Amino acid sequence: MAEVSAQTQAPEGEAKGRFNRFDNPWLNPKLLWGIGILLGIVLLGLIGRMLWNTELVFTGSTPLRLPPVGFENLRGQPGEAAFPLGTDGAGRDLLALLIIGAPNTLMIGAVASLIGMTTGIILGFSAGFIGGRTDDVIRILSDVMITIPPLLILVVFQSVYGDVSLLLMAFLIAGFMWQSPTRLIRAQVLSMRESGYVKMAQLSGASTAHIMFREMLPNLIPYLFGSFIANVTTAIVTAVGLEVLGLGPQRIPTLGRVIYDAINSGALIQNLWWWWGLPTALLAVMFIALLLINLGLDEISNPRLRKI
Amino acid sequence: MFGIPRSYLFNRFVTFLLTVWIAATLIWIIPRLSPVDPAEVMLGRMASGGAFVEGSEQILQSLRERFGLNDPLVIQYFKYMWAVVTFDFGVSVASFPTPVWTLIAQALPWTLGLMILSLIITFIIGNALGAFMVWERTPRPWKVVIPSLMIFTSIPPILSGLLLMYIFSVKLRWFPLTGSYGLTVTPGWNWDFIASVLTHGFLPALSIVVVTFGFWTLGMRGLMISVQGEDYVNLAKAKGLKPRYILYKYMVRNAILPQVTAFALKIGLLVSGQILVERIFSYNGMGKLLYDAILDQDFAVIQGVSFIIILMTALSVLIVDMLYPLIDPRIRHQAEAA
Amino acid sequence: MPVLQLTDICIDFPTTKGVVHAVSKLNLTIEPGRRVGFIGESGSGKTTTALSVMRMLAGSGHVSSGTIRLGADETDVLALSDEEMRKTRLKRVSYIPQGAMNSLNPIMRIEHQLWDAIIAHEGKVARDELKRRSDEALESVGLSGHTGRLYPHELSGGMKQRVCIALGVILRPELIIADEPTSALDVVTQRQVMQTLKDVQSGIGSALILIGHDMGLMAQSVDELAVLKNGELVEIGSVRQIIEDPQHPYTQQLISSVPLVGGESFLDDTVGAPPIKRSDSGHPLMEFQGVRKDYGDVTAVHPMSFKLDGEKPKIISIVGQSGSGKSTMGGIMLGFTPPSQGKVMFEGQDVYRMGPSATLEFRKNVQAVFQDPYACFNPFYRVNHALKFPYKRFGLAESDAQVEAKMAEACEAVGLDPAIVLHRFPHELSGGQRQRLIVARALMLSPKLLIADEPVSMVDASLRATILKNIYDLKDRYGISILYITHDLATAYHVSDYVIVLFHGRVAEAGPPKQVIGDPQHPYTRMLIDAIPWPDLKRPWGADPAEDARRMEEVRGHTETIFRGEVPGFELSTGGEMRMAAE
Repeated sequence: MAEVSAQTQAPEGEAKGRFNRFDNPWLNPKLLWGIGILLGIVLLGLIGRMLWNTELVFTGSTPLRLPPVGFENLRGQPGEAAFPLGTDGAGRDLLALLIIGAPNTLMIGAVASLIGMTTGIILGFSAGFIGGRTDDVIRILSDVMITIPPLLILVVFQSVYGDVSLLLMAFLIAGFMWQSPTRLIRAQVLSMRESGYVKMAQLSGASTAHIMFREMLPNLIPYLFGSFIANVTTAIVTAVGLEVLGLGPQRIPTLGRVIYDAINSGALIQNLWWWWGLPTALLAVMFIALLLINLGLDEISNPRLRKI
Repeated sequence: MFGIPRSYLFNRFVTFLLTVWIAATLIWIIPRLSPVDPAEVMLGRMASGGAFVEGSEQILQSLRERFGLNDPLVIQYFKYMWAVVTFDFGVSVASFPTPVWTLIAQALPWTLGLMILSLIITFIIGNALGAFMVWERTPRPWKVVIPSLMIFTSIPPILSGLLLMYIFSVKLRWFPLTGSYGLTVTPGWNWDFIASVLTHGFLPALSIVVVTFGFWTLGMRGLMISVQGEDYVNLAKAKGLKPRYILYKYMVRNAILPQVTAFALKIGLLVSGQILVERIFSYNGMGKLLYDAILDQDFAVIQGVSFIIILMTALSVLIVDMLYPLIDPRIRHQAEAA
Repeated sequence: MPVLQLTDICIDFPTTKGVVHAVSKLNLTIEPGRRVGFIGESGSGKTTTALSVMRMLAGSGHVSSGTIRLGADETDVLALSDEEMRKTRLKRVSYIPQGAMNSLNPIMRIEHQLWDAIIAHEGKVARDELKRRSDEALESVGLSGHTGRLYPHELSGGMKQRVCIALGVILRPELIIADEPTSALDVVTQRQVMQTLKDVQSGIGSALILIGHDMGLMAQSVDELAVLKNGELVEIGSVRQIIEDPQHPYTQQLISSVPLVGGESFLDDTVGAPPIKRSDSGHPLMEFQGVRKDYGDVTAVHPMSFKLDGEKPKIISIVGQSGSGKSTMGGIMLGFTPPSQGKVMFEGQDVYRMGPSATLEFRKNVQAVFQDPYACFNPFYRVNHALKFPYKRFGLAESDAQVEAKMAEACEAVGLDPAIVLHRFPHELSGGQRQRLIVARALMLSPKLLIADEPVSMVDASLRATILKNIYDLKDRYGISILYITHDLATAYHVSDYVIVLFHGRVAEAGPPKQVIGDPQHPYTRMLIDAIPWPDLKRPWGADPAEDARRMEEVRGHTETIFRGEVPGFELSTGGEMRMAAE
């Protein structure tokens, strides 16, 4: 095979290159970095709970407004090793707040997105398979609901009901997380239904369940993951947004809640940068990790992106 | 209208009405899902929060009326719908007895101005960067710089707002800390006021732009990559057209179309983000109004603001949908066939 | 002076696995006004060579050695600057693309796409002048000036291809490169477009490179022929010389692989084992009872009835152009497309009213081979999934080892090495390998009836005969009846026992192939056969638009079916009592 054609060779060479380079396209560096960072944050929460005194999240359990170790606050107090990341204006230890808050925030995102995803899979497949009226209703409903900003409906809800639990918050947000997976899956199912391999499966006497779950679903995995991650981001943004408006869980520390307290107490003007800065930075890292995962997944489902 | 088929316009308009109707209904239903009397609950919380409780009986009555506890539900619903259609959201509790609509009318221009400005800037910058990321003639340094800008992509505007505010207003004092214009200027068409508005609006707009352009950039990159492989781009090259002309007329003009459609999917989130930025910068817009209303438990204002913002969002989607056929001739055809 | 001189051209594509030599040491000279054909299978380097003249090689490809000299002034193409090269494109060398379907910018009016080309080379030109020249160019390819105001999606495939030709000649280049310009068109349109291309090309006196893989089309269209294989020029000469006295074995193979109506069969006629009797129900294997299919206002299939018994396996061909309703018929028989009217019976049972167990039995006995071998495999699974799954599902599997053995046997029967192909992913196989695997799948399941919908139209010409042979064997050796759906009358002539010619959902002509295709009576069948290009220089092939229009009129006026004799075990009728009900 010394002299092979350029035309047939180019695509095949590309496909083979893909398999040689990482054997498995899922071993994408961006994806792995993103997952690594997120796991790090979860571990911080888990290990932190064992090693650190989480009682310090309660108001008044520490001195007020201490800076992180190695810094001084405006009153000239140095940071103390007992509270390495400093304390807030109500006497709470920042490290403890982050240990408890970060996993809470991630949890809301993951749960809301998971529920939205599941709903999306069910609705998307129903729309694509049943068609007719069912399809019309699902299509129009998701088109309509996707333009309504979730934050505002949730603001209305929470301002009526006041305090909510973490889980209820996740459920509420999930009510706005099903639209884009539904649209995505519906479109994919409609195009796959016409594909040769689905026809072949029908010819092979496959049941509808087999076609949905064994023939179609595996090919949707990269899209589903991508949509899931995008939704986690959106859910966290919405949750943090509510918290920054002073809504959301009132008694459980979340990163958004810490930022809310900081802004409300004028931490920006009083130069208490660690109070709002640390949770902001941690959130930013979280979002960057999610972005990396999404970029990685994009490259997996669309090999052409890898060249750039 | 411009050769756009009626059925297309009609469909879009129905979707718009549906959106507004569902949103209004949700806002109406939510307080009613509660097993207890929402009016009582709210009044109770107002009292415990130390808010304005004088004349509580009157407020309770007005709340009862809003939630229409004496009428049958259907009547209540239609009364509410009529109120919504006429922008009559009742009276603010916190600034009693100012009508909610008056408060909204004061805040709305600020939000609209900031929103239109930042959305357009973001859209243009984001798409331009996305196109340059893919174009083969983009200078090397740009190809390195643009992807690294993506690091901002998914950070929500509240975080960038906090950061920019800290750096430019608190530390460097280049920009005013809060508000939408200085206290010393008189609103009107004078230079001082306009300059003040611009300096106050710059940071909020920047914090939105800096973190949302990436969404368009990433989308545009994917679209440009697929357009780049299209036969018509190849033929354009074979026609000996100038590279810049190909970039604009053949690649960007086609790749931008799905981006415009994506606008509708994204605008809800962008608007939410902006509301939060306004709250951080205490910008005199809907965000601040909403935040203050939440603090004051001023439900009528919350309801009104939420509805108006959703209406604005739905209207922007409608406008984009109406303009879309003008940039994509195929829509006219498809709609005729359908 | 020649228009183009290629001297010792080598073209390389560096890849991660090393350099691929796409074209090596190629020498070629083209004289002004001559039409030269580049023929070879995909990957032979024919397109690569032609594109190198425009310096438009894909990806990393580049000319590693040799010279390209263009025109009387012997411009060294490889030495031009980017800007000079840009000005050379279209002005001196124009390109007519293969996929005219997507070659026009969807958001620009046609005339703007002609104007921007003029402006790019001549600077500012007055609008009236632009309009005059674009109208003239469009008229030269048989389109009205009004076409210029339209958008690409408002044109048919043939019209788009004509626009691309108009674009290719608008600046009167010295050389036109036409890359399979008619591959997406049906034969009648192909003939007309080819004629247009030849007319405008000789009108402006430029040379033409025609790239293709169809020896028949080449024979009818060019003066000289260059045969390429694996990046090497294996033979070049005048068309007459090559057709009548091919020297290289590959050229001989290319010419002999074109199926001819009435010519020698490419099938091995030695009869295999006697066909096994498969049907025992007493009912016809497949029956249409007044079946009609409408899509909105359009009738895709007009009422028709047929009975196919399974006593002796047969191949029934359904022939027609795109839009004739032939694939719709296939879908109806497979139970995918419910008819608007009438019944479809399989062994006496209504296909669209079966219970689950009857459906499974139906699926087991009626299988299909589709056109696109790329789409038929789920990219998530290895290819053996497509064979293994139905085999188990139909309860044919006894043990895993038996399934493996059966798969290996089926692969070998279609000429594939099971050890190599079975455990790969679909993208790792070529189109020909995949299509053969689908045939192997049919063989392994051994249905009573196989619907083969354009099974070879997306496969390289040299492989078509082999795959058709595999399918033919299914009937001969395994006793499977086959419905062969195709646009290709020549192959239908050879493989089938009975031919149905469809035109706009109506049966134009039907009967045994020797009569229907060998001696056509219906004007439509005649038109189709006349439009097939054959490697026969004596046969007149060129199209006359007025003559074509007259014949089309005649075809439209002739809606009655012409029956040309019968074969035992197959009965066909059209209209009938169902038509009374419908009209």
